[in-house]
Amino acid sequence: MTRLTAPPPSEVMIEAHEVSKVYGTVRALDSVSISARRGTVLALLGHNGAGKTTLVGILTAALPPTSGRAAVAGFDVASRPREIRQRIGLTGQFASVDGQLSGRENLVLLARLLGAGRKAARARADELLELFALGEVATRRAQTYSGGLRRRLDLAASLVGHPEVIFLDEPTTGLDPSSRINLWEIVEGLVAEGTTVLLTTQYLDEADRLADSITVLSSGAVIASGTAAELKASVGQRTVTVTLDGADDPALAVAALREAAMEPVTGRQDGAIVIPIAASRDIAAVVRALDNVGIEAAELSFGEPSLDDVYLTLAEQPARLASPSLALGATV
Amino acid sequence: MSATTTTTSTPSIPQWDGSSMFHQIRVLTGRSLRALVTDPGVVLFGLLQPVIVLFMLTQVFSKMGPPPHFPAGISYLDFVLPAVLIDNAVQSAVQSGVGLVEDLKNGIVARLRSLPIVPSSLLIARSIANLVRSAVQAVIILVLAVTVLGYSPHGGLAQVAASVGLTLFISWSLGWAFIAAGAWLRRAEPMQNLAIIAVLPMMFASSAYIPIADLPAWLGAVARVNPLTYAINATRALALGIPGAGDVLPALLFGGIIAAAGATLAVYGFRRPM
Repeated sequence: MTRLTAPPPSEVMIEAHEVSKVYGTVRALDSVSISARRGTVLALLGHNGAGKTTLVGILTAALPPTSGRAAVAGFDVASRPREIRQRIGLTGQFASVDGQLSGRENLVLLARLLGAGRKAARARADELLELFALGEVATRRAQTYSGGLRRRLDLAASLVGHPEVIFLDEPTTGLDPSSRINLWEIVEGLVAEGTTVLLTTQYLDEADRLADSITVLSSGAVIASGTAAELKASVGQRTVTVTLDGADDPALAVAALREAAMEPVTGRQDGAIVIPIAASRDIAAVVRALDNVGIEAAELSFGEPSLDDVYLTLAEQPARLASPSLALGATV
Repeated sequence: MSATTTTTSTPSIPQWDGSSMFHQIRVLTGRSLRALVTDPGVVLFGLLQPVIVLFMLTQVFSKMGPPPHFPAGISYLDFVLPAVLIDNAVQSAVQSGVGLVEDLKNGIVARLRSLPIVPSSLLIARSIANLVRSAVQAVIILVLAVTVLGYSPHGGLAQVAASVGLTLFISWSLGWAFIAAGAWLRRAEPMQNLAIIAVLPMMFASSAYIPIADLPAWLGAVARVNPLTYAINATRALALGIPGAGDVLPALLFGGIIAAAGATLAVYGFRRPM
């Protein structure tokens, strides 16, 4: 098969333009626009129910959008689903492999369905088994695999057809730390080879590590997008993080900081208060404000803002906060 | 170094050119049948009910003597075996629906949907696999009946083959009904319940185990309109070489309608997003 237009190297490989998806009265996606160029990683960040999986469904031509338009690898999702499916790999939230078949048989099956001959299918399967260090369990039935092994096989399964675009829907949910890092390294290797990746995640460190650009979804709408650095800059250049002694009242501390014209952000799991500041000398102002109400910080740190801070700051803005499910502290 | 040399290494044309629907069906049927080879328990479990019914009924009825309207000169084994094969056909059909539900549940369907393949390929593969499985089990039951119980129907080999052929057609058509149920219900429990609630009474309220004339009047009335009765009468008439071959056409018609309706519903049900 020949393509009508050869893609230029800087081609936009994933594009959604004002895409909405409505189920009855529920607006799962509300005019979402995203775009990712070849060889980059775009992270979709958001809680459960933010619309990440729905957007992946639309971009992989599995769900029709209610309105708007989307294209992958230059092909429209509505009119050219076959061309898209020939060029994408999908790894869902739940490892989707055939438990009755061995790891190797799973990969051979998919290669055969994609049109590979027997020999080519076996060669591709062995290549992927080696890349994912699955050689030792290759002939075991997939239903006997551990969670981490299954996930690795699932990712390998999505790469069988040498896809140009890979959709990773929460690929590391439920994985142990070393498996996560292992998977990140594989993704980085693929991106270095020119693969375009759309990653959905609830983990901010994952987006921070892998993504070239990040789109934050909340209740089906884009609430922020940009590079990790841009998102961090939108919060403030720097932050002071204050951890209180258990005996001290956080509300009192927050009130005191607001009194001093600062904008403290609460809601972190560890209970710390994050205060964006303009310059390092403002640290003193933080300490003074707390001292005024007789609070001494148990721990005080100063640094660049993290994506956690970005997420919490965005969620704090009530006008954009459409759903209580995004309430602070709900981060899993 | 020119810019083009760095970008040509990125494939813009898919590695493989996709596959024909025929090829997809072949590969996916092979996959469904693989379980029969790697996990013989599947076949053994499927055989359990028909074989138990066969042995129990033949033992019970040989002690009791035939009911009043039992066809003369025919052993109970010869009478009941075609019905046991139909029972086996129905059980196998139920399993094709259960198999589809399992595919939906373990995510393999989601994976296949992301590939450039025709969704109906999976359904057709399930249907063919059901047919093969049903045939394998029928052969095992026949071998058991001939060797252990001494089954020797009057119809002869060609007639028995025709009878088994019709049984497999019924299995294939009922398979589509259960594939459709799987595509719509998408859960294993209601499928199993459906199988128990629908299949067991359907078998007993038919001409399967004793002649309709010997059933209580109300049950006989149900049996007369039960499509399975036609299938059983037809396969029995063929195998025994007794009158009743007139039921072959209704049985084929009934099977054809079930298959057409089931396949249509299955494709529509399967098309719905996950």
